[in-house]
Amino acid sequence: MFALRRWWDRYATRAGIATLVIGLAWAMRQSQGAVIYEIYQVLTSPLHPGLTQAERLENAYILELQQRVIELENQNQGLRENINYADSQGKVTIAAVIGRSADNWWQQITVNKGSSDGVTEGDMATGPGGLVGRVLSVSPSTSQILLITDPTSQMGVKVSRSRALGVVRGNVDGRVVMQFFETTPDVKPGDVIVTSSYSRLFPQGVPVGRIESMDLKKSPAPEAVIQLSSPLNILEWVTIHPFEAKTDVNAPPAEIVDDKATP
Amino acid sequence: MTVSKGKATLTDFQKTCLNIVIVIGSCLICLLLSPMRFPGIELLGVSPNWLLIWVVIWSIHYPIFDGAIAGIVLGLLQDGLTGPFPTHALSLMVVGMLTARLQRQRIIQENVVLVAFIVFGMAVVGATMMALQMSFRHILWPNSPYLNLWQIWRTHQRVALSSAILSSLWTPALYYPLHHWWKGYLKAKN
Repeated sequence: MFALRRWWDRYATRAGIATLVIGLAWAMRQSQGAVIYEIYQVLTSPLHPGLTQAERLENAYILELQQRVIELENQNQGLRENINYADSQGKVTIAAVIGRSADNWWQQITVNKGSSDGVTEGDMATGPGGLVGRVLSVSPSTSQILLITDPTSQMGVKVSRSRALGVVRGNVDGRVVMQFFETTPDVKPGDVIVTSSYSRLFPQGVPVGRIESMDLKKSPAPEAVIQLSSPLNILEWVTIHPFEAKTDVNAPPAEIVDDKATP
Repeated sequence: MTVSKGKATLTDFQKTCLNIVIVIGSCLICLLLSPMRFPGIELLGVSPNWLLIWVVIWSIHYPIFDGAIAGIVLGLLQDGLTGPFPTHALSLMVVGMLTARLQRQRIIQENVVLVAFIVFGMAVVGATMMALQMSFRHILWPNSPYLNLWQIWRTHQRVALSSAILSSLWTPALYYPLHHWWKGYLKAKN
């Protein structure tokens, strides 16, 4: 008892501070680092693509006039395509990529639109070319997108030509591998892969990529390496589509039957 | 300390406050640097582990217990920035304790090259802790998200080596200002 009392007298403050600091860090972790990402968003705002547009315009008239004009025309065209695309897709949000994963084991990106722009957890993100990932967490003006190359990201997909079903999994080394459900799937390199109705976290029919190579003798299931159609390493903009994940385990049976029936 | 000594000397209370500001400020800078990828910072798609550098420098100046606490706290914060599993708290805690233990044996003198070497080693230790957690999960839990052990450890090689090289190269940028402050602060305190 005395020893305990003496320990308490000596270390009470340190123990208190340690508990407090760990508690705060825990709270920060539970909130998915929202405070930190908010500060990050404010600090990096001068670096975001799109905001320097005005400065680029000014320089364009002074320096390298022609090249700048060509660059602007290209950008204009790109953005115009984005806008047309956005119009055709209904209510979507276009967001700039402002950060990458905060460590080397996760495949994530940070974008500059958050819950105040209507982004919610579980929304789907696409880039030029196809699927990019889904929104993992949101803070008021940023959101974290888990890329489909992350090992914890899995989704149901199908081969567009033959309707062979499978699961696409990210990999710790950044490649994406598709595992087939059948033992002898009808596939060949170059086949287009889209999300299937088995996928509960993504809407069906979104393009993912093409089959690059395959190993049909692999046990327990045949595997194929997928070449993603979206260039994840050089992404600057993503389009965020509102989507409610189907939390119901029994996915709509009608669509699944349809998938299997179509040869 | 009185005011008559001039404005160059701060009172103990002011020093403590300044220390808290510096500690929190430098942590925040490291946290904000983590998602950034400016040119020259990436090697094979891997970036320096800023929080690990901070924990190592902190543990050089403080005892084992404090090193462990700093590791846990920063690890939890990094978890917040990424995802809950595998947890960084464990790997940074081990890093903090090991570094503080090395310092207790007076292995590290005031030599930035040696500190960079420690960071190099600790980055490998940290990456190994992460890979071990993944491997245990892969072996012990039935539905593991990882394809196979071979893949985890091949990635471990790439991540550990690149992040160790980059982290140790960036160590002086954090070490000089923090060491300069803590050396003076702790000397005045004892």
